[in-house]
Amino acid sequence: MRLSQVLNRQHIDFMFKKHWRVQGKRVPIDTGLEEQLKAKGIPIQDALEFVKEKPQEHEHLNIVGPYERPLPLDENHPAYKKQPCFTLRSTNVLLEGISQAQVLTKTIIAEDKLPPKIEELAQVPAPTAIHENIKKAILSANVFDCEQKKLPKLKDRERPAYNFPRVLGITDRRRNEILTNKLVQLVEKSSDSEVTMSRYILNDVESKTVFEKEDDLIQFQDISHILVTSNKPVKHDVEKDVTYNEIPDLHPIKCTVTLPPEHFYEEESKYPIKPTVNVRHPHTTWLHYNKTEVSNIYETPVTEQQLLGRSLTHAFTVASAYAKQLHGEDVKDLPEPIYINCIQTDGQKYHFGVLELNTLNVDGTEGTKNVWYCKNNLQLYGSSRYFGGMPVLENYNNKVYGYINALYNC
Amino acid sequence: MYLNRVHRTFPKLKKLVTRRQSQAVLSEQNEYTDTPEYPPILDMSLQGRKFRERQELHQKIQAINTVEEKQIALNMPRYYGWKCIIFNEDKVPYNAMPLVQYYTRSHFIPVDKLPEYYKETSEAADAVVKEIKGLIEEAILIENGGVDRKIITSTQKKEQPQLEDALAKCIVKQINRIISNNLADKVEHVLSSQVDYDPRHEAFWFIGGVDAPINVVRWRQQYKYLKDRWYESIDRPIQYLGTPLLTVRNRLPLKPILPFEEAENPEFKVPKFTAEPCAVGYSTEHRHGTNIPGFWPGDFDEFGLVSYHGRGHILGRRESFGPEDHIEALHCQAMKASFGWLLAQANYQGFTTFNDVTYPLVTQTVITNGQLWSLYAYQLNTIEMHRDKVDSPKSNICFGTKPLKLYDSIENGKVQGLNEDVLKMIVQFYLNAPEERDHEMKPYLGEEEQVVADIEDDNKRCWLENRYKHLVSNRPKHYLLPEVYLWERIYKIQFNSRFFEAKRRPFELGINPYTRRLDQHLPPYIPKGLRPYPKSRKKFETTYYPKV
Repeated sequence: MRLSQVLNRQHIDFMFKKHWRVQGKRVPIDTGLEEQLKAKGIPIQDALEFVKEKPQEHEHLNIVGPYERPLPLDENHPAYKKQPCFTLRSTNVLLEGISQAQVLTKTIIAEDKLPPKIEELAQVPAPTAIHENIKKAILSANVFDCEQKKLPKLKDRERPAYNFPRVLGITDRRRNEILTNKLVQLVEKSSDSEVTMSRYILNDVESKTVFEKEDDLIQFQDISHILVTSNKPVKHDVEKDVTYNEIPDLHPIKCTVTLPPEHFYEEESKYPIKPTVNVRHPHTTWLHYNKTEVSNIYETPVTEQQLLGRSLTHAFTVASAYAKQLHGEDVKDLPEPIYINCIQTDGQKYHFGVLELNTLNVDGTEGTKNVWYCKNNLQLYGSSRYFGGMPVLENYNNKVYGYINALYNC
Repeated sequence: MYLNRVHRTFPKLKKLVTRRQSQAVLSEQNEYTDTPEYPPILDMSLQGRKFRERQELHQKIQAINTVEEKQIALNMPRYYGWKCIIFNEDKVPYNAMPLVQYYTRSHFIPVDKLPEYYKETSEAADAVVKEIKGLIEEAILIENGGVDRKIITSTQKKEQPQLEDALAKCIVKQINRIISNNLADKVEHVLSSQVDYDPRHEAFWFIGGVDAPINVVRWRQQYKYLKDRWYESIDRPIQYLGTPLLTVRNRLPLKPILPFEEAENPEFKVPKFTAEPCAVGYSTEHRHGTNIPGFWPGDFDEFGLVSYHGRGHILGRRESFGPEDHIEALHCQAMKASFGWLLAQANYQGFTTFNDVTYPLVTQTVITNGQLWSLYAYQLNTIEMHRDKVDSPKSNICFGTKPLKLYDSIENGKVQGLNEDVLKMIVQFYLNAPEERDHEMKPYLGEEEQVVADIEDDNKRCWLENRYKHLVSNRPKHYLLPEVYLWERIYKIQFNSRFFEAKRRPFELGINPYTRRLDQHLPPYIPKGLRPYPKSRKKFETTYYPKV
């Protein structure tokens, strides 16, 4: 609606405002009185000196608002440090993806290979009732959930300026939350009670690890969307004769590229569960890939390599935060390796991984190294959505559940 | 013209065009019957005619086949949405219990223990409690300080209630997890039940018997013939909005707590509450009525078992309300939440606020902050309470406890005084197994078409699906809502100072723009290039609004 249409009808106030503006700029006319009085020797004083009130000083009031305001981010901030810390959060990805993650965490990779026990457990077929329930969970996450929030804007490459009507639907955050939680619930319900009693499940807990690499301070902050913990640390029997992908040379890129330097940080690592808790040992950590939240800092789309790198850094964050809680902040080579399972998913694709953390000394490429076993790109379903007004689930793959179940039970 | 010319050139053509033969109607053999058959005597007064009109509408809605179309039909009379009284789950004003009870027709029975109905599962529950007691204690300890969480609170609401609800949610998740893991092998329905976090619960209904609002009375006072009906009550639309922390739902419904006939027991009659809802503290909002039990029509698990709600809003209430009113507020929350969820479920079975349920539905509601637990069992017997059913004898029944402490305190890293009775009651809610009913569940839905996805016509199915989702999203309209600008109110309505101007605005023409019907709009235009046949004259796309 054009505002002028309504405003023009009748608006006395506009006329008054105009009047005030004209009247407010009056120029005093020189009447010649001052000179006449001076000539007669009468002293003249400025009238404003008598009229003008002296400015009253008020005390500075400290107004208490409904909530505490954050402190200004400057050099007086308590968390301010002079040395910048290169920070990786779960909303950012590494430029070079998995190879940069390898360099940062000093890890060698066993591609397409999980510890034999997991592979063994994954082949055990699940009853059909479980698969029916998984299908229900997929449909409930993609189709039947009632969230109606704004989805990302639609764009047409041919006509980039065209504005499509905004679509409302289930956001990727909620979609992943529903699906992964339902999967974990199903796994738990179908597992032995002895196993489930020794596990604990946490949602949305943050781990943080700070470490030095070749004189650079680096911190990883990551949220485990689901963290399965157990009362005993996980152990895996690992095959010896495996071919590993060695740590690559990133030259001319530096390993901290695209990690934004920050001056406000804490120097201590943080594992979310306190050491007094019995079931504190990390077992499996689930990481969601929410397309609307994770991005490169330079606007380019996230590549598959970058996604895989995300899994590795995430597992490293949780494992090293736990190791530092266990052995102290300055531990380098660990007395015995720490294992952690990691599942990254965008709902459809699943990336499984097991990290064997041997050392926290990530300088150089020699000496003890960490090992990352992974199996990537397993698809749970082809598509699930409303197609022509009908709920659809296509190409359900019943093998993925086996791996999820195996990671939980191993 | 054209035809004439042809006829002139080919005069015989006229004879070829055959006329339909007209025939006299065959008179019936026997016009007379032994006893006279009179047509029914109809009340032809204005009220009588309006009453019949309303009944016809209710019949039409009942006859509609699919759930979604019924929901659209409920909203047909209002393009800009109904002026709903908003029943938020977590906003309970002072002394709202009589109002909530009347608006949900709930008879509240305060109890200390669960009703007799739960007696069967008592022993099984005892055994389960023994097994899970230690785990529950451990979970409570971990959630109260064993884990560092970063809870992000919004600055729109008070902080304290949000923190309490966040903690309650964590504890509820753990307790649900522990109980369902334990019961998964023991009872069948636990494995197949679905658990939802933060689902969207909405319900919409009409309530009759409430005093007419002042603007309606003023409007009636203009007309002499309405003199004896100035204060007659009108239907008030009500919208419930809620988000439980966690719900469990199943393919089958729970058994009724009391037999359906008990619904008409005069002991359970709910007293009338006719005062304006704004006098109690409820406000109104224009929106389309929506009935959503946490999933779209077509999901497999349609019946609720348990829902958990937070009680953080109690912290946001004024202290001067007193502890008794806080407890009543919890009862109100439970009645609203239980009725709202069940009504939405009933809507997915094909019943609406105009077509009453033919069988009872049951749900179990828990309100908690982790330490204090109030447990409610609710049976839905009636959802029809519009103005023609004000004196209906049916009422819904709610059993509820006071807030009970699950544990006394946490000292030295240990839970002190875990109350096993409370834990047992929660376990009993899970042990209460849903059952197949031996009557028809969806009498008012079609046999083959029950939801829009069953419709065979592609265009109709897609159109209805999109329209339904658009309607229930309640997204703002593209154009601003009609309004009377302030300058118009002053210079045109209150003081007739612009009598010389042409009268074009709706209020000058005596039109109320808010009575516009949902289908009173131009359907999307079909550009010429896209029309099915080059000479097709159809300029606008077809709409499939239900005909009510």
